[in-house]
Amino acid sequence: MNAGTVSTEYILRMEDVVKTFGGFTALHQTSLTIPGRMVFGLLGPNGAGKTTLLRLVTGLISPTAGKLTLFGGLEPGASAARAMIGYMPQSLAIYPNLSVVENMLFFGRMYGMGEGALKTRIDEVLETIELSGRRDDILANLSGGMVRRALLGTTLVHKPKLLLLDEPTAGVDPVLRIKIWETLRKLCDEGTSILITTHHISEADRCDRVVFLRSGVIIGDGTPDDLTRQYQADDLEKAFVVATKEGVAT
Amino acid sequence: MRSVWVAVRVIREISRDRRTLAFFFLAPLVVMTLVYYAIKDDQIVNIGVVTRGAARFFEMDFISTLEMDKDVRMISMPIPDEETDPQTLDRLIRQELATGGADGVLYMGEKMITDRFDGREGTLHLYVEGSKPIITSAVFGAIADAMDELAASLPVVIDSSCSSLCAESVNNKPMVLEKHYSYGSDDYRMVDFFLPVLPAFFVFFFTFILSTITFQRERLRGTLERLLVAPVGFYQVIAGYVMGFFTFASLQSIIVVAFILKLIQFDFTWSQTLAFSVVVLLTMLVALNLGLLASFLAHNEFQALQFIPLVILPQIFLADIIWDINGFPMFFRIIAWVLPLTHANAAARDIMIRNNPLSNSWMELLILAGFIVVIFTVMTLVAQKKDKSI
Repeated sequence: MNAGTVSTEYILRMEDVVKTFGGFTALHQTSLTIPGRMVFGLLGPNGAGKTTLLRLVTGLISPTAGKLTLFGGLEPGASAARAMIGYMPQSLAIYPNLSVVENMLFFGRMYGMGEGALKTRIDEVLETIELSGRRDDILANLSGGMVRRALLGTTLVHKPKLLLLDEPTAGVDPVLRIKIWETLRKLCDEGTSILITTHHISEADRCDRVVFLRSGVIIGDGTPDDLTRQYQADDLEKAFVVATKEGVAT
Repeated sequence: MRSVWVAVRVIREISRDRRTLAFFFLAPLVVMTLVYYAIKDDQIVNIGVVTRGAARFFEMDFISTLEMDKDVRMISMPIPDEETDPQTLDRLIRQELATGGADGVLYMGEKMITDRFDGREGTLHLYVEGSKPIITSAVFGAIADAMDELAASLPVVIDSSCSSLCAESVNNKPMVLEKHYSYGSDDYRMVDFFLPVLPAFFVFFFTFILSTITFQRERLRGTLERLLVAPVGFYQVIAGYVMGFFTFASLQSIIVVAFILKLIQFDFTWSQTLAFSVVVLLTMLVALNLGLLASFLAHNEFQALQFIPLVILPQIFLADIIWDINGFPMFFRIIAWVLPLTHANAAARDIMIRNNPLSNSWMELLILAGFIVVIFTVMTLVAQKKDKSI
């Protein structure tokens, strides 16, 4: 499959995937299929296995057992798959001594974008992240919120089909958090699939589909409304608490 | 009391970092051991004696007197006894010095002793390799002492200010001392010996620090991980780093080399300067790869900093920068052999002091290139293990 053609069947499929580090099992036998064009949330406390799952998708780590495929059949880590993924880690993984636009140019070039297309795309992304007016500012001179938006910009610059966001709103103020979610929703509407980890219930509520993770085990899977109903709770937060207590894998 | 709790916390935290503890307690012991071997003895020198004519009768006197000096090791010269042609003898003696068999050779020709007994000055020939001022001066010192010792029984007064023994000599007119340098001259200064190795040392030192810290930051910040998620090969990232650092390190090399050449005020040829630059650039590439390896081995910036003295200090003592490694026990000489600067310095001195072409240092260049390949391979293996397992 070429980069740029995405299977409409599914964006990610995990079949009995296990990941262990030494004697520690970070992810127990996990099966999951995520269709494209949706915001998919991984909700769980710290150490639940959210980041491990995300890193498996990036190909940075390999499953100890089981099978994981992307975009209808590509192995994670395959060049074609990597070209279609945009990965935003928890840390501010961006170059503080470069300007916003220099960072975006760098990451765009890493994805092999042509100079003309890249410059046009940067203008679009800058509009999206609302940093057009600060495009030439060195990151070290920007506020924390702006740097996080620039980080998102560098993740979007090569028009990824699948966006992997590891707690993108950690440490972000409520106004910026709303803005980031508006951006994500817009991207999803335009056809980007988004896999996002969070431990904020309010954010999980904004997802199209949510998986509850606890100690490396999926204990809930469905739309926020489905999960709320399934656990006979008033809201998603209470549903998560009930699911956590029951520890039932769906 | 709160200070005590701070202290308890500090002690607890450091005591759980085994690498820091080992560094903290073992590093001073290692450095002190190196200092001990570096300064414990005077320089030991290998001296040969060649006599012709009447001097042959006194050869054993010269040898046994020189042997009384604990810093002198006498060597037998591989020169046939029947060889008397001064030019051939000169060539053979220089050959022995060039191979490193002898540090200095005392040559007393056909007429030297008879001239002395006849009340004439006579000429004593002293051959030295000359590229190492410490050795040269040790050879001169040992021979002057030996002559002084012999002066009462033999007419071998080396200078007018010798001890009271000279007064008893049958000829207390000082001999003509003709010094033959394979390299350098009487004007050759200690600084001329040290300066050629300094560019390689500084380039190595600063490149190592820069690459260790910068790459450590790339890893900790998470940008390396992002690059590895992108369709970029690990080798492409490393190659990019090498090229990026190369720009700065090359610029630094040029500045340092130009500054040193100006400081020495020697007229080096362009080919000499170019050859010297090749050695410095190879050294820089070794340091660059070693810095990247250190950054992968370190878990944090503090541990990365610990690699700096660990890599640099042994090279200051063992890489022939100041002290001659031959004075150290075999164990340290083996360590010296696996230090990149040992080979870089050997090549730098061969080019700058002995004025030999770059090809003469092919072995050193090959070893430096070998270091680059080995360190790069180890670094990629360590890097892949580190960044794929957590």
